[in-house]
Amino acid sequence: MLFSFFFGFGNIIYIGVLLLNAVAILSEDRFLARIGMGRNAYANVDPGFGARQPDTESVKYKLVVLINSTRTVMRAPLIVVNAAIITYLLVAG
Amino acid sequence: MQRQAFPPPNQKSPELFHPRPQHISQVPHLRSPPPPVQPQQQPAVNSYGNPYGSPPIQQGGVDPAYGGNFFGGFMNDPTAQMASQIGKSAMMSGQHYVEQNFSRYVSVSALKHYFNVSNSYVVRKILLVLFPWRHRSWSRQQARLNSAPGSDGPHQQYSHMYLPPRDDINSPDMYIPIMSLITYILLSTVLAGVRGTFKPELLGSITTTSVAVICTEMAILRFAIYLLGITNESQLIDLAAYSGYKFVGVIVTLFLSEVLTGGRGTSNWVGWTVFFYTFLANAFFLLRSLRYVLIPDSSSDPSLRSGVDYTLARSRKSRRVYALAIYAGVFQLVFMFALTREDGIGTNVISKASAP
Repeated sequence: MLFSFFFGFGNIIYIGVLLLNAVAILSEDRFLARIGMGRNAYANVDPGFGARQPDTESVKYKLVVLINSTRTVMRAPLIVVNAAIITYLLVAG
Repeated sequence: MQRQAFPPPNQKSPELFHPRPQHISQVPHLRSPPPPVQPQQQPAVNSYGNPYGSPPIQQGGVDPAYGGNFFGGFMNDPTAQMASQIGKSAMMSGQHYVEQNFSRYVSVSALKHYFNVSNSYVVRKILLVLFPWRHRSWSRQQARLNSAPGSDGPHQQYSHMYLPPRDDINSPDMYIPIMSLITYILLSTVLAGVRGTFKPELLGSITTTSVAVICTEMAILRFAIYLLGITNESQLIDLAAYSGYKFVGVIVTLFLSEVLTGGRGTSNWVGWTVFFYTFLANAFFLLRSLRYVLIPDSSSDPSLRSGVDYTLARSRKSRRVYALAIYAGVFQLVFMFALTREDGIGTNVISKASAP
């Protein structure tokens, strides 16, 4: 019963939009910077003073890049997509 | 300005198979002859078979006996020739652009490689997916191609290329996944028909579910590849192929449990036994096969070979092993479970939806 509702194209679209929303609403000041995954987490490392080069292969670095680029790129399209889905659900659902 | 240089229609009768009379008639109409016209027209007047005189016919593509008559020598006008040349080159470049972009996303020659199968390969591969326990060597064989045949000596360029599935049983193919996907869809609907719960919507819903399973799996794999920083060439098609092999196990589960229990489905001990066997076989097959796709051996990994950050590379490798184990164990279990439960659930949902 669970799976046939989980796997389906409409549900996959819903899941994708909800996950994107979940990434996009993360607050930069209150949450991301506090746990050290903000935009400037890897920006202020000066390699000239003995600081280690950031490990660009690590999972955390890639997560930070992915979260920040998702927040930057998907903010404007998500407004449109959310508005369309809300309108559709109000009319048809 | 150049437009005024057109001769009025039907002014000349171009009975000749050569644009010479019209060129001559154009020249007095020009108020100021453009410079490129002059060297083109001189040879046309001089010699009949001169290559400089023939381009108006070939490039325009219009027989001068007809085109010159109807369009008033339009195609022979140098401006029109240039326009048609520009248009042709623009269209060709557009076509080239489309081909380039299409082949960037879906490489046709790479796809042909995945369908280069033979009968014996298909049989052996299906047996390998179902009974992977005794198979010894799992690495794909490579053919050595001499890419620069003219050069010899130490500077000879060799390019390694994987053998097609016809010659290598360990190579992934796309034939078995696609055929087993279609077979799975048809088998599920046939089983529903045997139970008397067939609806035409069942075909669509099962197709949607199985394609959505594949899409979800591809998305998860793509995300994991990004996080783990795995770089390998032509990898996503390989992963799609490997993820499609589980349909073989799903088909065997559905069919055997249906036959052995006399039509009571997969929710009994026979069904569960067959399901767990095919799941374990598929997981073992994926673990052994994907090792060579996802986890580079230490001799080819540059960071391991150079000795820099050895512990870092070791931890990265163990992380990949864990990710592969989770993928082959947990995710395959969930997906195969969803696929084997699909027929009963789908009929329940549809009969429930169509009941009122």
